[in-house]
Amino acid sequence: MKDRDIDDILKRVAEGARDVDPALLDHVTDSMRSSLRPVRPIPAPSILASAVALICVIVALAGAMLLKPYGIQKMNALEIGLIFPVLGILIWIASALCVSEVIPGSRRPVAPWSLSLSGCLALSVVFALLFSDYRTERFVSQGMTCLTAGLLHAIPVSVASVWVLSRGFALNSVAGGLAKGTLAGLAGVTMLELHCPNFEAPHVMVWHIAVLAVSGVVGGLMGWTVRAYRSQ
Amino acid sequence: MDSDVDLQSLMARYQQGDAEAAAALVHRLSPQLHRFFLVKVVSRRHADDLLQETWMRIHQVRHTYRAGQPVLPWLYAIARNIRVDHYRKAYRAERRELQMEAGYDIREAPPDRSSQTPNLEELLATLPESQREVIAMLKVSGMSLEEVARATRSSVGSVKQKAHRAYDKLRKGLASIGMAKARGGGPL
Repeated sequence: MKDRDIDDILKRVAEGARDVDPALLDHVTDSMRSSLRPVRPIPAPSILASAVALICVIVALAGAMLLKPYGIQKMNALEIGLIFPVLGILIWIASALCVSEVIPGSRRPVAPWSLSLSGCLALSVVFALLFSDYRTERFVSQGMTCLTAGLLHAIPVSVASVWVLSRGFALNSVAGGLAKGTLAGLAGVTMLELHCPNFEAPHVMVWHIAVLAVSGVVGGLMGWTVRAYRSQ
Repeated sequence: MDSDVDLQSLMARYQQGDAEAAAALVHRLSPQLHRFFLVKVVSRRHADDLLQETWMRIHQVRHTYRAGQPVLPWLYAIARNIRVDHYRKAYRAERRELQMEAGYDIREAPPDRSSQTPNLEELLATLPESQREVIAMLKVSGMSLEEVARATRSSVGSVKQKAHRAYDKLRKGLASIGMAKARGGGPL
């Protein structure tokens, strides 16, 4: 049996399927008519993504200015030229992903879990290439300070992105939460790269990247909680 | 393509508050949405409920449709969401009852054995959930690969792969139905 034969059979069985009850359609139409009023379509995805990305950058810059930008002052041109473009690309993809998660039927640039994972990997590779100091002085205490600061900067970004995208319709709240968490985590990492003068490779590779990972996981868990709540 | 442009214009009018456009969309798209739910849930009563719920959700989130974008991926993405929500709620609340009702509904509407072609639900029931969904969208609703990929939030390659695997299974299934009917002397 060829594909064309199966196509024909499927076409015939689809045409032969029972019709919808006209009374049901009338009932649906009447329900919609009773609350029908003009609505303003959601802004273009590029505008929403730009707004979300801008929030992310503003929070990271404001945080770094507040805590003093010791990190970027200590960096050489190569470090600046490699770290920040990578963060910029990741922020743009994460912003586009957050927007696509709230517009049904839109193209998804990448799966949220895949972005979170590839973001961590890309930053690990960049940090491994740039930083060669493998000492681990006050590894945990300094690391916890950076992790806390990064996550504290992720909070306003996640709140603001939820607000900006509140007119959308999240089809999958777990995926949406993971995407927003990843974006917020990237704001935290950007702030740390601008601020943190500790260039020990283990510190940067573990604690700075942990901000991205933890924020993504927290976002996904919050999405899962929302879904569980709605399912009840 | 013309059909989609027509749907896009109806959606734009619906967003502007045109009741006739809303009614036209409901009457035009409901049959294929209903078939989509039928191949997924089997029970006609549940398909009716899901169809109604889908239109109510579409009405609530109609502002999320962007003018110029294809209508079907947007519509089916919402329909899938309703179906998944329905299963999740049903699974948590009344797992046993749902199974009994589904069994009852199948008996209530038995497949027409005397027809020349197999029943749609019966034919697609042999496929795994994800393949059944892809076939329903591609062949029953007449969507393109790109549209199915958008609605299911996957890649075109993944949709092609699922469709290919589904066709392999359908080919085997139809061959066995053909052999069984040939042995029984019934019509193919």
